[in-house]
Amino acid sequence: MIGIEKRGMAILVSTMKRQRAVLIALALVLASATPAFGATKFDGRWTLMITIPESAASGNNRTFTVSVDASPRDGSLHGRTTIADAEGHTVGGAWRQVSKKVSVTYELPCTGDGPCATLILTGKIKSSGTKIRNGKVIVVWDTANDHNPALFDTSNGSFKGDRVQ
Amino acid sequence: MKATRFAALLIVVLVVAASSVTTNARMQSERTLAGEWLVTSSPINGETASPRGNTLGFPDRDMFFEENGDLRTGVVLREDAGPNVRPLGVWRINGNRFSTTFQLWCPDSNGPCGSIVMRGEFVRDDRIRGTMTAFFDVEDPRSPTGFDMWTFAFKGDLVAPAGTGAAQRAR
Repeated sequence: MIGIEKRGMAILVSTMKRQRAVLIALALVLASATPAFGATKFDGRWTLMITIPESAASGNNRTFTVSVDASPRDGSLHGRTTIADAEGHTVGGAWRQVSKKVSVTYELPCTGDGPCATLILTGKIKSSGTKIRNGKVIVVWDTANDHNPALFDTSNGSFKGDRVQ
Repeated sequence: MKATRFAALLIVVLVVAASSVTTNARMQSERTLAGEWLVTSSPINGETASPRGNTLGFPDRDMFFEENGDLRTGVVLREDAGPNVRPLGVWRINGNRFSTTFQLWCPDSNGPCGSIVMRGEFVRDDRIRGTMTAFFDVEDPRSPTGFDMWTFAFKGDLVAPAGTGAAQRAR
């Protein structure tokens, strides 16, 4: 009788150990998965490297880096950003995100007599949540153009992004 | 004697001209979008939708712009869609002309979304006009940008200058 009880206890302990192992494994999977979902959110600090033409009529490109600080959306579909360039100009921007696809739009800081423009950036955040690659840029210049459906000159550019924080 | 009179006259003319230029420059630099504007839109050449069939319609829009140093922000008060529906944007100004850009509000993640760029000018301090272009997140190889886009006209009237009671509700 005691032997049967001992065997029963052994089976019970063995089952509990297996269940604990399964629970620990499940917890580990969940723990690793949760930050990954959160990490694909755009909010936080990013460095974006943007390449666009020097002007509407130029065949030469310029590449510049901006620091983006994207505020959380707080349940809204939109969020605000501050965008600072290497020359120390800081302007505002607006962003939205669906799944991993993010869109940021802002007005270039206009300095001197150089051409000014509006930028629309669209890209996809990598699963790691720390990179955006092959992002596309639409540039809407301030120069009027009756032959363009936008009635202003437009250009295309590209960008890539790396999360700073 | 004649030379002295001529020199005096020349100085007066130059001072008046300089003062006029300064006044004009000051008037232009004082233009601002800050405040609440009622903006109405209309089609250009009867085009009520983009080449890919996307449209925003032509609703009146209550737009609120704010200026805090170099940070110039905007919000569309979409109370027709809900109390918390507030598409966000930014703006800049250059003399009599301005540019703003907004993100569209797209609650249906399966439908096309996009961004708006407005280019306009002041008719007077409390009246603006210009064009808006919607750049939809839909590829269109026929478009110069590679994305579906649609341009229409707008005009706007200032309904509450910055800092007034009515404009505060947008905060």
